[in-house]
This record gives sequence, C-alpha cells and structure tokens, in this order.
Amino acid sequence: MNIKQTLTALALGALAFSSFDLSAQQENYFRAIGTPHKPKVEIAWNRYYSSEGLWDWMKKIAQAHPNLAKIESIGKSVEGRDILTITITDFSTGKDTDKPAMWIDGNIHSNEIQGGEFSLYAAWYLTEMHADNQFIKQLLKDKTFYITPTINPDARNNFFKEPNTASSPRSGMLVLDNDGDGENGEDRMDDLDGDGHITMMIRKSSTGRFIKDPLDPRRLMQVGPDQVGEYEMLGQEGIDNDGDGQVNEDGIGYYDPNRDWGWNWQPDYIQRGALKYPFTLPENRAVMEFVMKHPNIAGAQSFHNSGGMILRGPGAEEDVNTYNREDIRIYDAIGKIGEEMIPGYRYLTVYKDLYSVFGGELDWFYGNRGIFTYSNELMVSYLYFNKQAGRGNQEEQLKVDELLTFGDAFVNYKEFKHPQFGMVEIGGFKKTFGRAHPGFLLEQDAHRNVAFTLYHAYHTPKLSITEVNEVDLGGGLKEVTATIFNERMVPTHASQDLKYQIERPDYVTISGAKVVAGFVVTDEDMKKYTEQIASPEKIAVANIPGMGAVKVRWIVSSTQNMRITVDSAKGGKASWKK
Amino acid sequence: MRKYLFFGLLLATTICGKTFAQNDYPTLSQVAQRIQKLSTDPAVELKTLTKTAGGKEIYALKIGTGDKDQKPAIAVVGGVEGFHVLSVELALQFAEKLVGEHSEALTSTTFYVFPNLSPDAYAQYHAALKYERRGNAVAVDHDRDGAPGDNGYSDLNGDGLITWMRVTDPMGDWTTSKEDPRVLVKADRSKGEAGKYQVYKESVDNDKDGKFAEDLNEGIAFNKSLTYKFPVFEPLAGDIAVSQLESRALLDYLFEQWNIFAFVTFSPANNLSTPLKYSAGDARKRVVTSILEKDQVSQAMVSDMYTKTISAKAFQQTNQGTNGDFFQWAYFHFARFSFSTPGYWTPEFKGKTNAEANFLAWSDSLKQDSFVPWTLVNHPDFPNQQVEVGGIKPFVSTNPPFEKVDEIAKQHTDFILKLAGMQPKLEFHNLKTEALGNGLTRISVDLFNNSPLPTHSEMGARSRWLRKLRVDVAVPSESLISGEKINLITSLGAFEKTKMSWLVKGKGNITIKAGAPHAGFVSQTVTF
Repeated sequence: MNIKQTLTALALGALAFSSFDLSAQQENYFRAIGTPHKPKVEIAWNRYYSSEGLWDWMKKIAQAHPNLAKIESIGKSVEGRDILTITITDFSTGKDTDKPAMWIDGNIHSNEIQGGEFSLYAAWYLTEMHADNQFIKQLLKDKTFYITPTINPDARNNFFKEPNTASSPRSGMLVLDNDGDGENGEDRMDDLDGDGHITMMIRKSSTGRFIKDPLDPRRLMQVGPDQVGEYEMLGQEGIDNDGDGQVNEDGIGYYDPNRDWGWNWQPDYIQRGALKYPFTLPENRAVMEFVMKHPNIAGAQSFHNSGGMILRGPGAEEDVNTYNREDIRIYDAIGKIGEEMIPGYRYLTVYKDLYSVFGGELDWFYGNRGIFTYSNELMVSYLYFNKQAGRGNQEEQLKVDELLTFGDAFVNYKEFKHPQFGMVEIGGFKKTFGRAHPGFLLEQDAHRNVAFTLYHAYHTPKLSITEVNEVDLGGGLKEVTATIFNERMVPTHASQDLKYQIERPDYVTISGAKVVAGFVVTDEDMKKYTEQIASPEKIAVANIPGMGAVKVRWIVSSTQNMRITVDSAKGGKASWKK
Repeated sequence: MRKYLFFGLLLATTICGKTFAQNDYPTLSQVAQRIQKLSTDPAVELKTLTKTAGGKEIYALKIGTGDKDQKPAIAVVGGVEGFHVLSVELALQFAEKLVGEHSEALTSTTFYVFPNLSPDAYAQYHAALKYERRGNAVAVDHDRDGAPGDNGYSDLNGDGLITWMRVTDPMGDWTTSKEDPRVLVKADRSKGEAGKYQVYKESVDNDKDGKFAEDLNEGIAFNKSLTYKFPVFEPLAGDIAVSQLESRALLDYLFEQWNIFAFVTFSPANNLSTPLKYSAGDARKRVVTSILEKDQVSQAMVSDMYTKTISAKAFQQTNQGTNGDFFQWAYFHFARFSFSTPGYWTPEFKGKTNAEANFLAWSDSLKQDSFVPWTLVNHPDFPNQQVEVGGIKPFVSTNPPFEKVDEIAKQHTDFILKLAGMQPKLEFHNLKTEALGNGLTRISVDLFNNSPLPTHSEMGARSRWLRKLRVDVAVPSESLISGEKINLITSLGAFEKTKMSWLVKGKGNITIKAGAPHAGFVSQTVTF
C-alpha cells in the first residue's frame, strides 16, 4: 500500500464513519407536525442573513429542487447587486406563466429585515414539504410563487454591517441632500462607542429633567415639575460633522422606497419620501417590470415590520373609491382568517388605521394591476408575554430583556468624551431589538405569516369547465353551452381591473366546430344572451367571479373532435374535450 | 469699428440667408444639422439625453458662459406635442438668436434649450401619410383589448392626409355649421335641431369592435404622460407616468440642473395671454391643484409683460393645461415658475364664433389651401351609406405658414430675454463693522433680492428640489463668537431683505457668501 492508497482508504473510512453517524442520529429524529422532516436544505430559522446570505440559501433550494424552483435576477440595485427572485411551481405540470401566481417580497424598508427570512421560509417550506404533503403538492400544481426575499439588498446589508438604529436606514443607498444645504450625506450618525449600534446620548446636567431609575439604571425617568433632575437627553449617537449646529441631520437619502410606486404618485412636497417620478428606484422598477411581464400574478404579499398588522389598501384617503364593495368582501374574508392564524395581528386598512400615504407598493399592485395585495407588518410585542402592551412600550421591553433575553438587547450606559458635548453617556436598545424578532420567536411567526400567505395564494382563481351541454336545434344546427367555474374566492378580474380594463378579458374558445354564432349567457333560464359578432368562436368574457360561474353558448353547424379551452391571464388555463 | 460693422453685416446676412433658404418646417435631420452648428459656439454645450423607441435623438443644449451652473437659468422647451411643429422651430430659433444676437444675456443667465421632445411624432409632418400625431414609436394597446395599435387611421381618399369622415345618417349627432357649411358642429338638441352625420377620424374599423381610430398606431404622448394629474389608463397616456425613455431622460437631467428658476414651454397650453387663476380651496388641499397665491402674483406680472411684448392679440386661448402635460408638471411637481404659449393662434376674424369657421374665413382671406373638400368614398364598414372624407388639413390650424415664423420667433426671443431680466438677483447692502471694544467686532449686512420675482416660487419653497439660500461665513472658528457659520434661508420675496449679523474676535478677514444655484451667488470679504 503506497501513500496514495493509504490516504484514499483513510478518506473512505472517514466517510463511512460519518455517514454511519448521520443515519444513527437521524433515527433519533421524529417528525414534528407541519414542519419539513429531513429537509434537503437545512436552514437555521433563529438568526438573520445578509442579502448574500439569503441568496445563498435560495440557490441551495433551487439546486436541491430543480423541478420545483428556479432562480433569476430581475434587475440591479443602486449599488449594482443582482436582485434575485425564486420561482416556485411544479414545473412538470405546466409553465409558471400559465398558472395563477402569488408575488411575495420583503424588506422594501431596509431596516425591516425579517421580511427577508419570512419570504425565504415560504420558498423553503413549499419546496421541502412538497414530497410529503398533499395540499402543498396540489398547490404547486395549480399555482406559481414568485418570491423576492429582499427588494432592497444594498441597504439591508448596511443595516447589519454598519452602525444603525432599529429604524435606519429606511431608504436604499442613494445618498441625497436631506437638509437642503447643497451637500449630500455630509452629517451622518456616528458610532462613537464602536459597537455597531446607534444608541442614545445623555449628559449629566444641573438643569436636566431626567434621573436614572435607582432600581434600574437602564431606565431614564422624567422628574416631576417641582423636582430637580440630573440628566439631559442629547439625542442619537453622533457629532456635528459639518459645523452647521445640528447633529446627524444629513444621513443616507431621506427617501422612502414605499412612496415610489406608480399609483396616484405625488411629489415630495405632498408625500414626503417620494423621489422624482414613479419607479425612480431601480429596485422598484425591477419589480414593476417583472410584474408587468407576468400578468398571471393574481395575489401579492409585501412583508414589512412592525406592529402585527395585516394591511390592505387604500394607502391614501383620496383613493377610497378605488376599492369597491365586491373586492373589499374578498379582502375581508382572507384578512379575517389571517387574524385567526397569526395571534396578535390585526387586519387593518392603511389610510384609516395607519396613515394616509401616496405611492405605496400595495396600492400600485391593486390600483394599477388589479392584484389582491396585503402587507403584513411583522413582529408584535404580543408575542413576548401574550399581552397587548403597545408598540415600542419601553417598560415591557426592559422586562423582556431582563427575563427573556438576559440583557442581550441593551447597551448599558457608558461614559464617552464627546468632541462637542464634553463628557456624555452612551447607551440604549440595540438596532436588532424591538422591530426585529428575537431569535426564539422567528420561526413560529414566519410559519404563521407564510401559512396566511399560502391561504391567500390558494384563493387566487382556479378555473374548470364543469359542464358542456349540447342541444339539437334542428336544421343541422346545434347549441353548445359551456359552464366555466372559478373554484376560489379571487375573481379573474378585480372590480378595479374591470373599471379600467387593466387586463385583457378571459377567452373561451371552441375548436372542432363550425361556429355560426357565439354568446355570453346572461340569464340561462330567461334565455338572455349577449351576442359577440366578431370572432364568435373566441368568446371574450369580462370576468369569472370568485366562487362563481360564467356560461358561454355557441350555435354550431357541425362538430368534429370538439374542444373548449379557457385562457385567462390571472385565472390560468382550463380545457374540455369531447 | 468699421471692421466690426462689416463683420456684423456678414454674420447677419449668413443668418438671414439661412432662414430664407428654408420655406417649410425643418425635417429632423435639418434640425439635427442646426443643433450641430449651434454646438460649435463655445457658449453651447450639446448633450444627447437619450434615443427614443423610434431611434431619434433627444437633445439638450446648455448655453452660458463662465460658471454656468451657478447662474439662474431659464429652460426653453419645444416639441412637447409632436404635431406642434412650430414649437420646435421657436425653441431652435431662440437658441440661434440668443447665441448669434444676444450673447450679452449669458453674462447673468444660463439657458437650457430642449428643442424637441416628441421626435417620433414630429416625423409624421414630413411622412408620406401626414397626420397630427402625439404618440412616440412604442407599441401601446390604447383600447386595452389585448392587441396593441390594431385600429389606427386609414387614408380613404388617398390624398396623403388624415382628415375626417362623415357618414350621412339621420341618427347622427352632427350637422353643418351656420357660419360655414364646410364645418361640422353638434346638432343643438335643446333647440330641436336634427343631426345629419356621424363623424369620425378618417379610418376603417380594423379590429371590428364598432369603434373607429380608437387604437392608434402610435405610442405614448410626451405631453400626456407626466405625473401631474396623470390620466392613468387613457389612450396615449399608458399605465404609468414618466414611463418612456425620453420622459425619464429629460426628468433625470432636469433634476440634476439645480439652477433652473423658470420654464418657457411652447405648447398648446397658454398661461401667458391670461394667467392661471388662484383658488383658495384647491390650493389648500393635500394634493394641490391651484397655483399658489403668491405665485399667481408673479405669474400675472410675467403675463402682463408677455402681452406687451407679443403683438398678436389673444383669441380663444382657453387651454390652460391638460392632464399629464409638461408645463403644469414644471410648476406643480417641479416647483419652478412655468410659462407656456402656443406661440401662434388664429386671430379673431369677421366675428366668427366657431373656431373652425373663424380659421377657414381667415385662411381663405390669405388665399391658403387649408381645406380638403368633402368627397364621396367607398367605405367597407358603411356599405349602404354615403361616406365623405374631408375637413381642415392637419397641422394648419396650430402651425402658421413658415414665412410667419421669423417674426413670432423674434418676439418670443424678446419675451424670454425680458423674463431673464427679471430673475432673482441677490445683493449685499448696509455692510457694517462695529467695534464693541476689547477686540470684539459686530459685522452686519442685509441680504437683498433686487428683483420683482422671489428667489423661490411659493411652490419652490415647499420643494426639496430647489436649494435653499445658503449663507456661509468663512472665518477661523475660534474667531466666531456668535452667529451661524452656515445659515439656510427658505426664500426671499420680491425686493425683500433679511438682516444678518455675527460677532467676531481679534483681527482678520471674514468672507460672506450667499445664494443658491437658481438665484445666483454673491460674496463679500470684510476686514475686522
């Protein structure tokens, strides 16, 4: 045995040992209900990933499930990163574009990070559950999922890798002139203590109005109107870099990527955060162009944080009439189920329950494309102690960090010699606490939000030709009546779509028959029909309502191998053969 | 002196010679040649912003001397409507006259000229089939039936022009005008008047949907696709505002030119013969749809100057903006002073009230051939009805005969130069240094806007896309005892001043600099 052979033998031996170890171990794994067992791609769901981290998992998923998943770049970010979308469907049962589809994205606001992991969870769950679960199997036969975990990859990385608060950056990485002085980004936040988090600066002062709680030095308390304090607040960690007498007033762009969408878009003086015109941002433009090229998208979810909300439009009060009663009934039906599926989350309407804004993503999806869309605001403090203590409740957060995260969420106050303020103390909650889930809550909330999104996707249209009746009219003529049924709640055309003819009609086509006349049946019993004179073999149907049917009727003079097909942009395809 | 005079004469002859050689509006390649020629002048910076879907260049000329970006600028815009060929010529001639005859204006003002934003549509003027076109060359499904551009015009009488067709039909809504039998008007049902005709643009129902020329074989109209009151989903507007190569390229460029304080657009809209009206209710709403109160005052002043400069008397100038257009965008969304004029309109003639009858009477008096007489044609969609094709020829009512353009261009050049004379003008006054003892000095000065226009329109003061006036003092930081090192001022009104003061210690120099690119800069150094 020479050296080479020895090495090979050793290597083989090691391999045998390790695989033996693995199988022995797996016998000690038992299936937990509702979770992929022995997934091909093992992902830890109790931590966060950079943009490249998310994309790495997407590539692994696509490699492990080539018949279910494909990756593509839909465009480039401001800093030139590829924006990756994973398409998930059972490709053996038809092209992705022939099936009604669900769009899922996350992280439009760069600090709202967990939309990335939640979207990734959806991709992982669908592919890893497919082999073992009948519902998922059928879902991927019927539907397509286009999942883009981060549509703001540059600033997602900035959030993790650079010093930030829980709320910064909200924009992407375009550096603009926030304070109108002609210079861009010349006075950003400064991580004075070098811990990667921007926290608060306080200073001892004889005229201060705060004291530190003697029982908990993390807590600053306001003194009474008749009491003398010990500390004053100086705001967020930073210095006056440009000498204009203000601290941190010109960071990365002030803009908001969720004010950049082309439905009732308004400029910045009306809608703060808007840029130059709709889809100024290349990231949003990439999504818009993808959606325009995929008219099969019938539902959409855009994950944000935080507060535990399932939001629908309108975003702006001025847009109230865009959403009419029939569509709101469907929104409500799905949204209310969501409230049950995700504890602590409430189903709300943006303009009246949150704030009234123009140029939001969900309004574009619905108003401009007729796509039923929700935005879930992920993470709610209810998940901590099953109590509604309210968003950003400091008392509760201090308690969480004491009892559940053992001080991991807070930077204790430490003295720092500030070049402009003199001796200050720096401390406060870390950027990854409050809006982001702590690790132990991530997987559960991801699962529940994804389950809601799958329910939403399930209810995009599903068309079938349920009945074809033939009646002999004599004189060599025959009447053929076909019933097309939509087995799900979402119609092929939202009422907004019908109002503006956004998407082409659905076509019901007969072949193998000599067509003399064609009709849409308006009332079969009363024999009311609307005739289509031009091209009667291809009947245009304006809409196939949710859980409803449409009938079309032809008068034909002869038939041979008669076949009827339905072709709907958002409803997919169906066919019937004699 | 004699030498200069001779040279001047020579130059004038060259320019005149050039103009006289032309007897019709230029083709795109002639426009390009003139732009290239302009760009040989050292004051002219030529940039191609993009190429349209039809492969045609969108040009931007930046004309100025010295530090061009730090002087207030006026942007002159033509071709926002492709059929308004006059507007391209006016913009172009303005640039030529500015460089050739008025270069002294460049000392204090920079000019941007965008001669043609609808070159795809403009080309139709010189095409074999001529019609008033607005859309660019992209394929658009205007009637939203799933098939783009499947019902455009058809030249039924083979005259190379798209006019109108009338179908004799007792159920039709149209009848002949009492002012001119060639003109068709809606029958006045309230007076019991019967109709005689159905009227359509000259076309065939190609897609068999019962409608005529409803899905034109042209794309998006520049002047209907900007963000202010964007008419979403309407024909020629499309689904998304600013969706086209040319509109995005122009806006991307404009958003980087911080020195533009006013726009002059040659387009069918007119807010110069009569200024826009202020409505308190519409100005107060979140989505503002009325000119703001102070801006109305400025605009009325400019309008007054316009009517004194331009000899043509306004007649039937009722278009003060249409949804998605450019001139309103420049004010309502770009927050600059924005003025628009068609440059030319038919004058009031022989007391005719109907615009077409007025036009024909006037045109007849000039012995122009502006009308295609109604002539019978065979129409496949009306096999048993009488169909006639005819009407006013395309282009003639919005564009004057070419020989009239010179005078119009001259007057409008004067107007733009007078507008430049009104631009914001910052000055320092009452500069004082007071010794307070012990080496302490108070320096005070008034910053004054010596102009009938404010430094920022009221709208501009709300916008992030106009810079604030920035006052910087250059002085060692240990010398500055009080007063701002950097001070931002939102706006200075017409002939308004603001007082500023600083306390400095010791001896030295202090330089005070104030301004913004669109308002210009002033600077002064004081010794203390």
